[in-house]
Amino acid sequence: MIISFIPILVVDVLGSVAMVVIALLCLYKARILRSMDPDNAVFLYLLWISTGFMIFALSRSFGHILKQFLILTLNGATWHAITSYSGSVNTVSFMLVGLITLFFNQSWNINEKILSGRIKLEDTHIKLIDLNQTLEHKVVARTEMLTSSEHKARRIFEQSLDTIVVTDAGFKVSEINQAGVTLTGYQRKEMLGKKMGLKDFMSQETEWEKICGLLETHEYILNEETDFLRPDRNLVRVLITGGVDYGAFGCGKTFHFIIKNINDKRQMEQQIAQADKLAALGELSAGVAHEINNPLGIILGYTQLMLKETSGFEEDLKIIEKHVKNCKTVVSDLLSFSRKGSLEKSWVDVTTVIDGVIKFLANHTDFRNVDIQTGPAPQDPLMIYGNGQELAQVIINLIINACHAVGKKGKIEIETKQTQNNLVIITVKDNGTGIRKKHFSRIFDPFFTTKPVGQGTGLGLSVGYGIIRRHGGDITVRNRKEKGAAFTITLPFAPQKK
Amino acid sequence: MPKKYLYSIQLILKSLGALVAVALVFLPLDAYATQLHASSEGIITHQMGHLFFLFSMVALIFTITGKRLDKQKGWRFIQYSAFFFILWNLDAIAAHFFDNQIYAVKIEKLSLGQIRVVSQSELLAWLYYVLKLDHLLCVPAMLFFYGGLSNLVDEQRQMMAKKDIP
Repeated sequence: MIISFIPILVVDVLGSVAMVVIALLCLYKARILRSMDPDNAVFLYLLWISTGFMIFALSRSFGHILKQFLILTLNGATWHAITSYSGSVNTVSFMLVGLITLFFNQSWNINEKILSGRIKLEDTHIKLIDLNQTLEHKVVARTEMLTSSEHKARRIFEQSLDTIVVTDAGFKVSEINQAGVTLTGYQRKEMLGKKMGLKDFMSQETEWEKICGLLETHEYILNEETDFLRPDRNLVRVLITGGVDYGAFGCGKTFHFIIKNINDKRQMEQQIAQADKLAALGELSAGVAHEINNPLGIILGYTQLMLKETSGFEEDLKIIEKHVKNCKTVVSDLLSFSRKGSLEKSWVDVTTVIDGVIKFLANHTDFRNVDIQTGPAPQDPLMIYGNGQELAQVIINLIINACHAVGKKGKIEIETKQTQNNLVIITVKDNGTGIRKKHFSRIFDPFFTTKPVGQGTGLGLSVGYGIIRRHGGDITVRNRKEKGAAFTITLPFAPQKK
Repeated sequence: MPKKYLYSIQLILKSLGALVAVALVFLPLDAYATQLHASSEGIITHQMGHLFFLFSMVALIFTITGKRLDKQKGWRFIQYSAFFFILWNLDAIAAHFFDNQIYAVKIEKLSLGQIRVVSQSELLAWLYYVLKLDHLLCVPAMLFFYGGLSNLVDEQRQMMAKKDIP
């Protein structure tokens, strides 16, 4: 059969060229795929297979074009010589493509595993990020809580009105708040610099030994009362509570103490106890005075009746009369102390009363050598509502006592002032011997006196106390820092109604 | 020993190995210890290669279907490509069978534009003439493969674009 060769030639040559061009384009696309996801095993597989097709197309096309060229140029013998090599290369190339193709399933499975691993990794990554963020939020929240807690603790420590002290295991102060500085009277730098301990604040070593013993036994102390001695030699009554802290995060053992200043409270309690005691004594005195007053009146009446007639016992009767009168004076004083006496009240200028008392005493021989001074006169009169005679009696008693304390050449100061909270303050100060500590609690007791027998009844201060209390005021006593004692009378200011 | 010397030695050894391999292929000597091969082995090997290629393409088609990848346009195109390669392999196997194995067909060049297909059967001559136009099968096969890759590239781009959208 004779037939045209042109169709075969055209299809062969153009097909070969097309194969090479398309194979190149395939390789290009496969490379793009690969570059999009370098970890994708299927894309790698497609790149391999495209490369295989490229080799296949090249070898085949080269062979076909060369074959047509050699046949057309009548070089069939040459083609015959190389046809075996061309065919072999062609065989190897499409076997290579076939071989690569068979690995598709494996490539796909590997890719699935990679994708699955990647998804798991991404999930884990997301979880990790979430965990990290949660952790960060928790850290931020805990840090804020810690800062807030630290701030609160610091504020409590700094602002506390009670003393808070932290000491090391040897009770040396390592931290102390401002209240502690005020209480102890030492500066913080001084305490830390000199490595002062709690022992250094104690007035008595035995007290400290007792507290130490309790701490060693129980590792805490609760409301232990003791006295602190300040650098100015004043004693402060304190209540100590404390315990051991074994610390955390490698901190050493420390002791924490809270120290409460109960000085004022204790003084107040003493004053209340004193007032209660005096009130009880007043009741007792009133009862006794009332019972004695009537028999004394009868004795005095009969004595005076007997004196009107001549009996030969006039001298004896006069002695009886004298002592009965003395008894009646005592009874009268007792009644004054116990507030049982009558009281006529009016507006009284304190300054005027004091001036009158000083003028009256100036004529007395005992006061001629005593320097009695008054402070600057207030601009407005210091008015109270009460009994002027009784107030004068109280001031006379105080000045007489002061006079006895200072001796013949002493100094007595009387000051008056009005406070902002409408109180009138009268202070009688002397530079005498002062009052012994043990006498403070009994100084306003009836019949208590430090004077020799016969020189005082011991009723002056108790009567004064009764009068001042009856006026709605108070009277206190203290020893002065310099020398002597100071009595302070506090009365409510009462401006006269116009 | 420094690494650069090791690399140099390796390069020399590799070059020597390649030279030996080339010499063995292009300058064959008699090797009496080995089996002798007849010239017909070439065509049989070639035909087996075609069968192997055909088999791999069949396997590819079934693998793609088995993994339900044929729902994607790209992989479906690759399946079409494999199908055309199967046809091409059948074409090539048949052509080689007729002219190289049983020598039932022979082409004689008459002139630049004419050939004579020598065969006992005219039908076989016509069949052989058609079989010689095998590029009409392998070129579409390559085109489908290219189309498949192009579609896979597009799908991958779309997927990456979706991922980038926050």
